[in-house]
Amino acid sequence: MKISYNWLKKYIPIKLSVEEFCDKLTMFGLEVEEIINLEEKFENIVIGKIISISKHPNSDHLSTCLVDIAEKEPLSVICGAPNVGKNQTVVLAKIGAKIGEIEVKKVKLRGIKSFGMICSEKELGLSENHSGIMILDEKFNAGEPISKALNLADNIIEVEVTPNRPDLLGMIGLAREIGVMIDEKYSKPKIKFQESSQLTSDAISIEIKNPKLCPRYCCRIVRNVTIKSSPDWLQQRLRAIGLRSINNVVDVTNFVLMEYGQPLHAFDYDKISGKKIIVRTAKNNEQIELLDEENYKLKQDNLVIADAEKPIALAGIMGGMSSCISPKTKDIVLECAHFEPKNIRTTSYLMNLESDSSHRFERGTNPNGLEEIIDRAAQLIQQVAGGEICKNIVDVYPKKISPQKIFLRTKRVNDILNINLKSEKIKSFLQKFEFTISEKNNDFEVTIPTFRPDIEREIDLIEEIARRYGYQNITSTASIPQIENRQKRLTLRAIKNHLVKLGFFEVCNLSFSGTDVFEKLNLSNSDFRRETADMKNPLGEQFSILRTTLIPDLLRNVATNLSYKFEDFKLFEMNNVYFKKDEKSFLEKTFLTGTITGKFNSEYWNVHPDKPSFFDVKGVVESILEILHIPKITNYVKSTEPYFVKEQSADLIFGDEKIGSFGVLSDKILSKFEIKTFTLLFDIDLTKLLKHISQDEIVYSEVIKFPPVLRDIALISAQNISVSEIEKTIKSLNSEIIRSVSLFDVYAGKQIEKGHRSLAFRITFQSEKSTLTDNFVDKLFDKIVRKLSSDYKIKLRKK
Amino acid sequence: MTLKSEIENILNQARKDISSCKNLSDLENLKVKFLGRKSRFSELLKRIGKLSSEERPIIGKLLNKSKSEIENIIEKRRNSFENTVNNSEHTFDITMPGRPIEIGAKHPVFQVWEEIEDIFISMGFEIAEGPEIENEYNNFDALNTPEWHPARNLQDTLYLKNGMLLRTHTSPVQIRVMKNFKPPIKIISPGRCYRNDKPDASHLPVFHQFEALVVDVGITFADLKSTLDSFVKRFFGEKIRSRFRPHFFPFTEPSAEIDMLCINCHGKGCKLCKNSGWLEMGGAGMVDPAVLENVKFDSEKYTGFAFGLGIDRITMLRYGISDIRTLFKNDLRFLKQFV
Repeated sequence: MKISYNWLKKYIPIKLSVEEFCDKLTMFGLEVEEIINLEEKFENIVIGKIISISKHPNSDHLSTCLVDIAEKEPLSVICGAPNVGKNQTVVLAKIGAKIGEIEVKKVKLRGIKSFGMICSEKELGLSENHSGIMILDEKFNAGEPISKALNLADNIIEVEVTPNRPDLLGMIGLAREIGVMIDEKYSKPKIKFQESSQLTSDAISIEIKNPKLCPRYCCRIVRNVTIKSSPDWLQQRLRAIGLRSINNVVDVTNFVLMEYGQPLHAFDYDKISGKKIIVRTAKNNEQIELLDEENYKLKQDNLVIADAEKPIALAGIMGGMSSCISPKTKDIVLECAHFEPKNIRTTSYLMNLESDSSHRFERGTNPNGLEEIIDRAAQLIQQVAGGEICKNIVDVYPKKISPQKIFLRTKRVNDILNINLKSEKIKSFLQKFEFTISEKNNDFEVTIPTFRPDIEREIDLIEEIARRYGYQNITSTASIPQIENRQKRLTLRAIKNHLVKLGFFEVCNLSFSGTDVFEKLNLSNSDFRRETADMKNPLGEQFSILRTTLIPDLLRNVATNLSYKFEDFKLFEMNNVYFKKDEKSFLEKTFLTGTITGKFNSEYWNVHPDKPSFFDVKGVVESILEILHIPKITNYVKSTEPYFVKEQSADLIFGDEKIGSFGVLSDKILSKFEIKTFTLLFDIDLTKLLKHISQDEIVYSEVIKFPPVLRDIALISAQNISVSEIEKTIKSLNSEIIRSVSLFDVYAGKQIEKGHRSLAFRITFQSEKSTLTDNFVDKLFDKIVRKLSSDYKIKLRKK
Repeated sequence: MTLKSEIENILNQARKDISSCKNLSDLENLKVKFLGRKSRFSELLKRIGKLSSEERPIIGKLLNKSKSEIENIIEKRRNSFENTVNNSEHTFDITMPGRPIEIGAKHPVFQVWEEIEDIFISMGFEIAEGPEIENEYNNFDALNTPEWHPARNLQDTLYLKNGMLLRTHTSPVQIRVMKNFKPPIKIISPGRCYRNDKPDASHLPVFHQFEALVVDVGITFADLKSTLDSFVKRFFGEKIRSRFRPHFFPFTEPSAEIDMLCINCHGKGCKLCKNSGWLEMGGAGMVDPAVLENVKFDSEKYTGFAFGLGIDRITMLRYGISDIRTLFKNDLRFLKQFV
């Protein structure tokens, strides 16, 4: 809902800046969506007077206007509105002004320059009217900023009123709420007028056929009014919140709607047949033309306001054309009623008709207090349109809706909010909300005024107290400590899951070991794995120390399973190992050790695996690093571990630190464990590895929309030049464009010079900015060839 | 016979033979027979030059036309064979095994371990861990275990040469957590523990257990019962109730032993539960105020409960494994059952 800050302040003194005020509102549950400073918004928009007008030579519908804005010379402005005419007082947006998001600029329209823009009400955001330019009373002075002329120096606050609070859909309801928020008293307008001697009840009768759907209907009659345009103050109020001024009587009903949040309607008394208002459901096939100038077919569940003959309004949603206020209207009937929300909601939904009126009725208006509101409207109508107000309100209210009573326990309030409010404090809060209270042993019986249909239970009252107390003032309880290392747990699980998918079986061995294993593994005397934690009361020799490596147990598992005739299998263990740190303390580390025995995959009718090699285990290690998103700072160097075949093993290095090793186990070691089958091993220190895991999650980058270009390159290179070196060299030539370099063939032998090998790479070129041309890729490709040739004497392989 | 009718005869013969031929190799033979170098057709083609100038174009045209017709019907027949081969139910055996994707498995003890973690995480617990090599204080003293308690004996506990020990339960983790964090504390600590037990069907010097610890304002014995009951039901099924029997542990007061309804006979009595209808699960109780004071918690303000259960034992119960040593033989014939 749009609130005019100036208007609101008529009902409650607010000494806060608009920003401070809006912050408070938001924290109180009325979320401020936007603040519009009208002075800023209407900068460079002024009153203009059209001095002359001529047809645009090159257009049928455009006119060239000379507009006086009290500057040296009048501006020449092109206007396309149908209602533009000479001597009009209009609103002119000068160059530099902003209309919505668009800045007004000097433009040429069909060959003629235009130095500004004559605006419609919609363009100014003053109403939805866009049928033509806005034409003002001639009393305004040319050149005057419209924010000043139309008294628009205001802030418009757009707040989100939650659907449970219909009482906040009017200035007075808001003022009441804000009064609770800032501890201020609000005031209502003073209502005072003279009634004529004619009784309203003599002039009109009211019958409610369906009191369930319309529990109350009030009306008043004002005779001999003069329908004309509204005074400035009234127009300005409505304009500020985006309502169009129509005429003085309709404007008053809209004004009071915005003031009290209660919709009203004015009928032309003379058009009411039989001087009788009947509230009933529609008859089948009844029709009505509403104020939106559309015809509607009615159904039996639509509630209508009818006269003796026909429907004259769709109850609570929109008035009918036949009885609307026209310039000729003399006497008016004012309606102020209460309708059942559900019926209004259904009709509004089914007819796809929404209005300020239905918006309020379907949320639930206050059935009581209608007298005050209809009197306020009568008073204002008399003030702006003259006339005599007939005596008394005709008020049909067969079954009075009385306020609910709710019992509120002080202890319950404090228990739920975990605060410590004394009952007096609760009492004062409740009174500010205008709840009536009777106290009973520190607890309360609370009478809920009918303008708060949202308060139905004790818990609803507790919410109100919490809001007034301030959510920010409720201290949170002790925060829950983060005890576990979640990242570690999830990472270890991810590694296990990954290995399982690759076909590894997890084994679990006990923590003990004998000391003989070090010799078996060929470990040197200074090897760190000889720093053992020794048992005082071991269960036997094979239990004399805590193991410092998982390798021996795993190799024993391999031997056992080979003896059961398994040929190709993969095992891993993830468990702790224990080292002596010093005399007093020990170090526990988690290791991941795995073996690949025989072939990586078993032979099958359609699977003929290659001979197993070092690269099988390297692939496993690389895939673990990949799922952990470990950036490729990894280095592989020849392993120093004594149990591998010398050339076919590698240590995994991060920075300066060795994280693990992998490779082909030597026959000598295997035979010590009675293994006769080719076996690969990896051994990774997870405690170290975990330190290198980046905390960043997956980093997403937009898919490149330009196509990649693939080129294959076959090279003859000396054996001692490593593939990784060649890859790096190629990439270094243009790392932004060269996306990947992947080795797809290696060959040495016939036709290849001795000491050399043939390497074939597929290079992917791709740019983020454009489609690469052949010419560009050719040049880069040549550059690669030249670089490899000059730095490494690598040649292109001839076909 | 005129040349013309001879050509027509060959053509008719070819049509008949090709349509009745049974397989691809027969078809290849027919192709040689009708169009090969030694075929009658080739002979006729060679003879064209010798024909009169009137006959030559007519016969030549006829020969060419017939040749391409034979080629055509051979091709059609070939296609029909190939289609039958591809679609034939007899030659395409969908029952042959698909390309194998070898999948491994986690060790059953760790599968159960993870499932337990997940159940407790879903109940708002966190997972805490601590070292397996502990000092006597964390393992015994802080847990209110008196000097005379038999658990401290060398016969029961494995000690290291420097006087430290291998934790006999994961309770030291509780002490470490309570020393470092303030309530609310809601953890389970799964881990490896040790006892000086010679390996046999129901004992190993290494075993896995988890303990739960909850400390906060207003934690009661009823919370202990409901938490344990919820776990047992989630893990073993809705029908499996649990019960508490009074017992003694130095670190809880009141203390209890926990039984659950026998998962095999549901209380009727069987071999697994030794006819009692109940299976012993572990120990539980309200954290002894002395333990809370040891970690400087106000034992008047805070209360807590703890319980401990064996992961190996739960694994054995779930799968009906009777010898604990089976779990750690790492025999693929065993492990492959847990894919």
